Amino acid sequence: MPTVSMTVNGKQVSGEVEGRTLLVEFLRENLRLTGTHVGCDTSQCGACVVHIDGNSAKSCSMLAIQANGTKVTTIEGLANGDELHPMQAAFKEHHGLQCGFCTPGMVMSAVDLVKKKPKASEHEIREWLEGNICRCTGYHNIVKAIQHAQQTM
Amino acid sequence: MAAYLRPKRLEDALATMAEPGWVVLAGGTDHFPARVTHTPDEAILDVTALSELKGIDRMADGGLRLGAGVTWTEVIEAALPPACDGLKAAAREVGGVQIQNRGTIGGNLCNASPAADGVPPLLSLDAEVELASASGTRRLPLGRFILGNRHTARRSNELLVAVHLPAPALEATGRFLKLGARRYLVISIVMVAGTLSRTADGTIVAARLAVGACSAAAVRLPALEAALIGRPVTEAAAALQPSHLDLLRPIDDGRADAPYRRHAAATLVRRCLNELARAA
Repeated sequence: MPTVSMTVNGKQVSGEVEGRTLLVEFLRENLRLTGTHVGCDTSQCGACVVHIDGNSAKSCSMLAIQANGTKVTTIEGLANGDELHPMQAAFKEHHGLQCGFCTPGMVMSAVDLVKKKPKASEHEIREWLEGNICRCTGYHNIVKAIQHAQQTM
Repeated sequence: MAAYLRPKRLEDALATMAEPGWVVLAGGTDHFPARVTHTPDEAILDVTALSELKGIDRMADGGLRLGAGVTWTEVIEAALPPACDGLKAAAREVGGVQIQNRGTIGGNLCNASPAADGVPPLLSLDAEVELASASGTRRLPLGRFILGNRHTARRSNELLVAVHLPAPALEATGRFLKLGARRYLVISIVMVAGTLSRTADGTIVAARLAVGACSAAAVRLPALEAALIGRPVTEAAAALQPSHLDLLRPIDDGRADAPYRRHAAATLVRRCLNELARAA
């Protein structure tokens, strides 16, 4: 089996994977980083969003081996010990979640947005989130949380 | 277990493709969703490390070369002439941000979905595709590359390496309109892309209109294009006749029925021409 190695949340990791192992499977099953969720398996819902070399991507739609040599950040890599990342804190404060299933991907997309477009308008935030589907909140509080994090990040 | 290769040199990729059975993988945004319920034991050739497939470059003759591995995000962020405004608009309609970050122009063309957002704007820019194999390269107009639903002229030993936009088509204004059942993250019911080239006094000298998702492969509208030549740009939309859309072959499916698609195509063509007339 091929060996893959990458930096995940600042730590060098490697593992042997069957060649068709998806990145999300490697993260969840090999590394036991189960914060990254699988919602649809078909690259639509966005629950599996992680950052690869600083860009958000859907980890259900690439092979683990395609991430070889990259820097991957998952939801587990955001907080600083017990201190939440400003985006996580904003989601908590504004109640930007209900069941929480979409939340890891939502937060990872939102962090990428604030890094790329720090002054995004409400409309631009909603457009950016088109690849992240939430079935509970109606997005209203998610958008409010991101607007708050624009000030705190 | 089947092989996985990610060559760094084009000649190595082409030598690999000379053997049968390799599946080419780039952004993977169509590849993986098609393999959720079954994972075939296929050999994968990952082309994302090939530098020949990267970058958007202005050529000596004034044309543009887009590497087949250029992502939709790279199209959105590139400094491109106004003729490419329709292509950029289409790039923003391909999935969400994460799909735009991974999905490539070449993948969109080779996947050959009738509803591929990239195809009508590239048709309206007179795009040609560059295909390479171990025995040489050839170029084809995009309209002769995509032959039908999931069907292209690419031979199994050929790799799509670049899309070329010739200089004359870049001396134009471009637009892209898409109709889906909702605003975001939606598969198209109808798409229309167009570019118009005009004289300083607003006379149309070249028109390139393309309609997607209304036939097995997106098509140009040659009868309408001919009718537009010589007209003032402000009267472009008035030139549209129902017969100009006779070559469309829309189907009934879960997204829309054929008469609706035909009606919507006429509406979007008219809107596209009106928007092009207003563009400076």
